[in-house]
Amino acid sequence: MKFKYSLEVMTVIAIVAFCAVFLYTSSTMSGAEFSGSDNIGSGLIAKLTGTPVENFKPLITQWKPPSGEIESCLFAFQAAAGGILVGGVFGYWIGQKKKA
Amino acid sequence: MHIMEGFLPWQWCLVWWIVALPCLILGINQLKRVLAADREALPLLGVTGGFIFILSSLKLPSVTGSCSHPTGTGLSTISFGPWITAVVCAIVLLFQSLFLAHGGLSVLGANIVSMGIVGPLAGYGLYRLLRDTSVNIYITVFLVTALADMFTYITTSLELALAYPAESGGFVSSFILFLGIFAVTQIPLAIVEGIVLALVFKYIIALKPDILIRLKIFSKEKINAARNEV
Repeated sequence: MKFKYSLEVMTVIAIVAFCAVFLYTSSTMSGAEFSGSDNIGSGLIAKLTGTPVENFKPLITQWKPPSGEIESCLFAFQAAAGGILVGGVFGYWIGQKKKA
Repeated sequence: MHIMEGFLPWQWCLVWWIVALPCLILGINQLKRVLAADREALPLLGVTGGFIFILSSLKLPSVTGSCSHPTGTGLSTISFGPWITAVVCAIVLLFQSLFLAHGGLSVLGANIVSMGIVGPLAGYGLYRLLRDTSVNIYITVFLVTALADMFTYITTSLELALAYPAESGGFVSSFILFLGIFAVTQIPLAIVEGIVLALVFKYIIALKPDILIRLKIFSKEKINAARNEV
């Protein structure tokens, strides 16, 4: 008989391994800031062009979240919107299956 | 993978908008056709789009000492193809440009091309190659998702290297430098994303196998085999 949850187990192992690699890296890597790769990419552009990052002005003025906390809140809102969508549809499908 | 507002010369912004716009129009038309043919495709679109919303909001630390985020485009790519995926990605990227200052309106075209077009196109190519072979559905989902994710970041590196070739070594040297930042960081994230989305696909198969058959995403035989596999 085949194990019913082998994919679930593999997923948990992958997530645990991912966390373990991060913990190992963060404890051994000196100078690692774990900032976004987007910002590091912007830093490389500044280096390649010899222009400081702050000299790159937006072509179209845009609103910026007033603080990192508000930015995190909006990111959480985005994830929540996706979560509601996914949960709603899975619930709808489960309901349809039960009805059938 | 976001190119930040102001970090791409306007000429390149224009080029990537010109590439992105026809794909978006194609995607909107395709979306209308799919939904007109089968309204039951709408919940599936909701799930696949929902995962793009969730996964692209997660900034995760990686082995290179920086953070990056998965793209979540694999499920949508397999279920609806690259053009509809481009439309969903455009919505997510627009939200992030307007409210999170991640990316921007001028660079939106470039970001749509990397996350919504080239990544999903690469994944879709692999899906079409594997769909009619004996390769297990879950392995297909894993590989397509991971490839779409990696190609997104490779494309971002390409877009930046084209705009900013290095003084010594030119485009190639610059491309390698950007790959070092974007693509290497992404490798572990792409692997985990592939496994997670394969698991999600298992639940879609368990709950709604008929829609996958009706939309000709996988054959009935393959879906039945997958239901007995894990």
